[in-house]
Formats: sequence, C-alpha cells, structure tokens
Amino acid sequence: MKRKNRVAGVLALVAGTALLATGCSSSGDSNSSDGKVSMTFWHNSTTGPGAAFWKTTVADFEKANPNVTIKIQAIQNEDLDGKLQTALNSGDAPDIFLQRGGGKMAAMADAGQLLDITDSISSATKKVVSEGAIKGVSYNGKAYAMPIDVLPEGIYYSQDLFKAAGITTPPKTMDELNEAITKLKATGVAPVAVGAKDAWPAAHWYYNFALRECSEDTINKSAKDLKFDNDCWTKAGEDLAKFNDTKPFNDGFLTTAAQQGAGSSAGLVANHKAAMELMGAWDPGVIASLTPDQKPLPDLGWFPFPTISGGDGDPASMMGGIDSFSCSAKAPKKQCTDFLNYITTKDVQEAYYKAFNAIPVNKDAQSIITEPYLLSVLEAYNKAPFVSQYLDTLLGQNVGNAMNTGVVDLLAGKGDAEGIIKAVNEAAAKG
Amino acid sequence: MSSTGVTALSDQQPPVGTHKAGDDARASSPAGRRPRRKADWRKRFEITILSGPAIIMFVAFVIFPVVLAAYYGFFRWKGYGAPTDFVGFGNYLIIFADKAFHDALMHNGIIVVLSLILQGPVAIVLALLLNQKIRGRTIIRVLIFVPYVISEVIVGTGWSLMLQTSGAVNDLLQSIGLGALRADWLSDPNIAIWSLMVIISWKYIGFAVILFLAGMQSIPDELFEAAAIDGASYWQIQRRITLPLLGPTVRIWAFLSIIGSLQLFDLVYIIWGQYVAATAGTSTMATYMVANGRTSGNYGFGNAVAVVMFVISLVIALIYQRFVLRRDMAGAITERKK
Repeated sequence: MKRKNRVAGVLALVAGTALLATGCSSSGDSNSSDGKVSMTFWHNSTTGPGAAFWKTTVADFEKANPNVTIKIQAIQNEDLDGKLQTALNSGDAPDIFLQRGGGKMAAMADAGQLLDITDSISSATKKVVSEGAIKGVSYNGKAYAMPIDVLPEGIYYSQDLFKAAGITTPPKTMDELNEAITKLKATGVAPVAVGAKDAWPAAHWYYNFALRECSEDTINKSAKDLKFDNDCWTKAGEDLAKFNDTKPFNDGFLTTAAQQGAGSSAGLVANHKAAMELMGAWDPGVIASLTPDQKPLPDLGWFPFPTISGGDGDPASMMGGIDSFSCSAKAPKKQCTDFLNYITTKDVQEAYYKAFNAIPVNKDAQSIITEPYLLSVLEAYNKAPFVSQYLDTLLGQNVGNAMNTGVVDLLAGKGDAEGIIKAVNEAAAKG
Repeated sequence: MSSTGVTALSDQQPPVGTHKAGDDARASSPAGRRPRRKADWRKRFEITILSGPAIIMFVAFVIFPVVLAAYYGFFRWKGYGAPTDFVGFGNYLIIFADKAFHDALMHNGIIVVLSLILQGPVAIVLALLLNQKIRGRTIIRVLIFVPYVISEVIVGTGWSLMLQTSGAVNDLLQSIGLGALRADWLSDPNIAIWSLMVIISWKYIGFAVILFLAGMQSIPDELFEAAAIDGASYWQIQRRITLPLLGPTVRIWAFLSIIGSLQLFDLVYIIWGQYVAATAGTSTMATYMVANGRTSGNYGFGNAVAVVMFVISLVIALIYQRFVLRRDMAGAITERKK
C-alpha cells in the first residue's frame, strides 16, 4: 500500500540532510586566515516587510563591517524550533538565531550551545534596553541572548465588528466579555478566533486564566520545580472550561492554524470573519499580512485580558514574551555580539517597529509608535506589576507542549481541568 | 528522530525482497534444483559482488539505526550531547501505561481493518470492470491511479482545505440543499477518523486496482477459453477462476496495506499538524512518536517509541508471512513466473 512512501521518505531524508549540510557548510570557513568572517543567521520572517527588514539590516551591517558576511536563512515559524534543535544536535548550528527564551534557552545553555554575551553587551545598548528585558533573556545570572522587542499579550479586536454588535467599550471583566460574545454571535461573526491546530494559541487562554488565579510566587515556583499542586492551576482550567461552554470560538477551531492563510485565526480577524483574538504583540503584523490588501487592519483595537472575580493574581499582570537573538557557542564572538548590539540601535529598532508593527525594545525608539492599539499595549505593559513569560516557554519544550495539548483536549471536550495537570505531570516523567 | 522513523518504515521490506531474490536465484540455477554444498569460488565471488552493495546499504541504513534507536531508548535524553541518564526499561513502562499510546495503537488497528474492508472489495470490482474491453478504459485507469501518484503533502493539504468547516465540501452540501449534513469533518473527534479513512481509501485504492489488474492479466487466457467452451457464465468464470487465481495478489496487497496502515504518518501530520491529532482521534503510533519524542524534545523516549513500533510491525509482518504468505512464497508465485 505504501511502498512508494518509504522510497519517498528516504529521498526526503537524503534531501533534508543535503540541505542541512549545505545550509551549515559555511560554519567551517567562518574564521579564515585573511580576517574575513562569515556567519549564518536564522530568523522566522519568511515574507513581506519582515523579510525585507532583515535583508536591509544585514546589508547595512555588512557595509559597516566589510570583513563580515552574514548568510540569511528565513525559516517558517512553526518549523524553526525543530530545525534549530536538529542543527544544534548535529553540531552545525547557525551562528545567530532567533531565541525563544525560557526553558528552551535554559536547555540550550545547559548543553553548552550558547555564547555567554553578558560582558559583550555594549554600554550604548545598556542605556536604551531596560534591565528587565535583559533579565528576561538571562539564565543563572548570565545573558544568553539580545532582546529585540517586547511582546505583551492581550486581546486584539475589530472595532467595526464591535460597533456593529453594539458594544461601545471594550470588556474589562470576564462577565463583560461574555456579554460581548453573546452580542457578537447575534451578528453572525465568530466572536473569538483561536488557532488550536498549533496548540499554543489555545493554551494562551489557559495561561492568562492561570495568571489571574495564581500569584506571581506560585507561577515562578511551579516553573522551577515543575510541580502544579497549588489548586489555582486547576481553578484556571475550570475557568477556561466554563468559558469554553459558552462556545466563544470559531467553528472548527481545532484544525484552524494560527498564522497561515485566510482560514487561520489571524486571517479570520484580518478578513472580519472573527471579532477577537488573544495574542502577543506580534499579532498586528501577522494580521496586516493577511488582509485582502496586505495593509494593516485599520480598525484594529486592543484591550488587556479581562479580570476575574477572586483569584490570587494581580489584575494588571500580563503574559508577555521577548523576541531575542542568540549566538551559538561556536560563533565568532566579537562579530556576532557586534551584530546583536547593532540590532538594538535606534535606527534599526525604528525600522523594526515599522516592519513588524511590534514594540521595539529600545526605549528611545518606542516614541515613534503611533498606532493607538500599540500605545495601549505599551501603556498596560509599563503599568504591569508582573510580566510572566509565556508558560510553554517558561516550562520548557517537554512540559510546555504537554500543557498545550492538555488545554486543546479540554477545549475539544476530551479532557478537563485535572487532565491538564495530569498531562503535565506525565510529561515530566518522559523527559 | 525522523531517521528512525524511516528505518522503521523500511525494515519489513527486505525480508520479502531477499526471500524472493534468493528463491529466484536458486530456481534459475541450471539444473533447477539446489546444488549441494560445493565450493564453487566463481559463484561465491559473483554472489559477493552482486549482494555486497545491497548488504552494506542495508546494514548501514537499516540495521545500524535500529540498533542505535534501541540503545537511545534506554536513556532519558534531551538530544544534546551523548546520553548519560540511563533509565533501563523506564521509557517502555511509560509507553505501555500511557493512554495516549493505547489510543494511537487502537487508531492504527482501526485503520488496518477499515483499509482492508473498504479498499479490497471496491478495488476488486473496479479491477474486474477495467479488465473488460470497455470504451475509455485507459482514461479511467489513469484517473483511478492519479491519486496514488500525487504526493501525500498535496493530498493532505488539498483535503484539509476542502474539509474545513468553512471549506468547499460544506459549501457544496449547503448549496445542493443538504445543509443539514454540514459537519466539522476534521475537528469533530467522532467524525475525524472517518474523514481520514475516506482520504486514505481515495488515495490508495488506485494502487490496489493496478495490482489486481496486473494479477488478472497474468491469469492464462486458456483457462477462460476452456471455461467458456464448457458453457460457464461470466459470473461463474470470475467466481471460480479469476478470484481464486487472484489470491496471491490479494494477499500481497493486504500485506502492504497492513504495513502501510501501521506506519501511517504523513497524511495525519499534514492535516492535523504537530499537536492535535490525538485530540481529534486520528493519532497513530508514528505521530505519537513525533509528538512525544521530537516535538517535546524527549529524544530518548521517542527512540523507545520507535523500537516499540518496530517490534509491533515486525511481529505482525512475520506472523503474516508465516501463516498467510507461506504458500505464495513456496512456489505459487515463482513457478507461475517461469
């Protein structure tokens, strides 16, 4: 029945290996004798202004440093982590690559795969990048990556669809959100889009409920010892189950992707088929690339995750990630860290903001933000007493993945709040 | 991880191939019977030269990875550096206790059985039909075979776009007045595996038809002529001559179908992605391996799953060969070939 497949599989493997080999063959000649240095660079912006931004940035850097050449490889976001792990395992890691941080970064650092850049962060960079952001990409007191933007999370929504449903102010509490959802349903659009096929977008709903139910100490403690015995974790699951019972999500959300195509959750918002999406601050950029004219959605708005009644978490706390870039342990230290310092300079950061519609990490560059939704994100971010890293990143690949799938099971009606905790505990045994 | 996956995929094939090749070589020796142990150096040299490359490839790309996977399977290993945390059979105990693995195994079982039940009879009927001299036969043959030639990725992407809740299938149902039949074809856990079965049948039935057609073509015309002279009707001829003589082909097809179903991965992975196959009720052993091994970064555990998959497939393949394919191996095929 599938004899052909095996051949195809082997061929694909051979082709993949060949690709990998060619993709990384440059690391061999990275320190040639004539002082010329060549580095490889992996990022996740495969199309549009993001891809163009990196091309320009690298070209400008090469012009200023004639001895350095940087080979760019853009890898689709969902494929990046797997490919990176394979490359790191095979000892052919790219010199510079997108770093997700948290448990994933800790695993790489523990394995000696990352360059410690603590002493290489220039004083100019330290002046414009907050200490908190650097702390967010540090592990055991050492910085292993350079932050480039901050990605606080909240709910993006279409103001037009809200208006059409008769919602005048964005919901502040869970009750108000449920009311808004009822009104939106009456107008025939999907109230909330969620790309559960990629698991993490669905899991972010759980993270945010956990952020409201659990105190800062509890979250940090569980992240360390991977024990979830505090009943706030179960309560968060119950909150989500109760919310899910109101059927707030788009039809067929289980096989909806997050970012690819008009049928994805971001695509549904971009085409006014869904009114809201819970996402990090990269979402405006993704939505912009999926609108019919590939321009930013004009009526996009933002409000923080609603508050709940009760719960140990501070109502102003936020989930948030930091995009950052690491140098691999084998990368040429000076040139690589020069590049990392370069991408935090004001001009580059302003270009970054324009390309990605995201909040740049450089405080001076933040002043050029004009979009009202980004300004409200920034305002909430600056007020937040506690910004937690996304839980799957914080907990590491293994436990984080199990939590994500546990949440998807709950949303699909195949599991409950205890199921999430059970899945997480079982995963801890596998790794 | 993927390399072990491929190994597990390819390991059942060689026994079939080598057996056949061996039988052929012996059968075609001058006297037609097995020569006694007579040290004919030329012959030995010839065998070494001819089989050497195949054996080297087989050992390097099949045996060696299997052994390596078995070794890694005894460790708790994140995939960075050499494995050090030896856990004995710990990984295996977790696998056998994991409900998600039981589910995956059951889905594999369902796919094995349903593939045989759904594809077999339909393919035989189609092959009988196409074996007649009807107009447009070539075109129909091509049309039936096309899905098999298209790559799994295209098939998976195409079907998943059509079967989405807002996709073409639901729109079509709506527009022809069957709106009541609209469903979440891919995301409803009660329906998803049936959608998968439809896609699998659509994709692989062409292969079965072609195999059966070839089998029918190799049945000597004299038998049909003799039967016709004796006054047998069309249906009698098909029932008493075609179907029995098609036996070896059907058994080989069933074998390939079973092995393919046990190792099903690509279609599920394309349609349901890295995470939600288990939730949708379409996970297989292979997707379980990737989700809990590669995606979770538990490479030691993933290797243990690969070994379990390998053993399950191997045992089923050996049992099938021993009890079902035995007659075919012993001569039915080889003799008729001569």
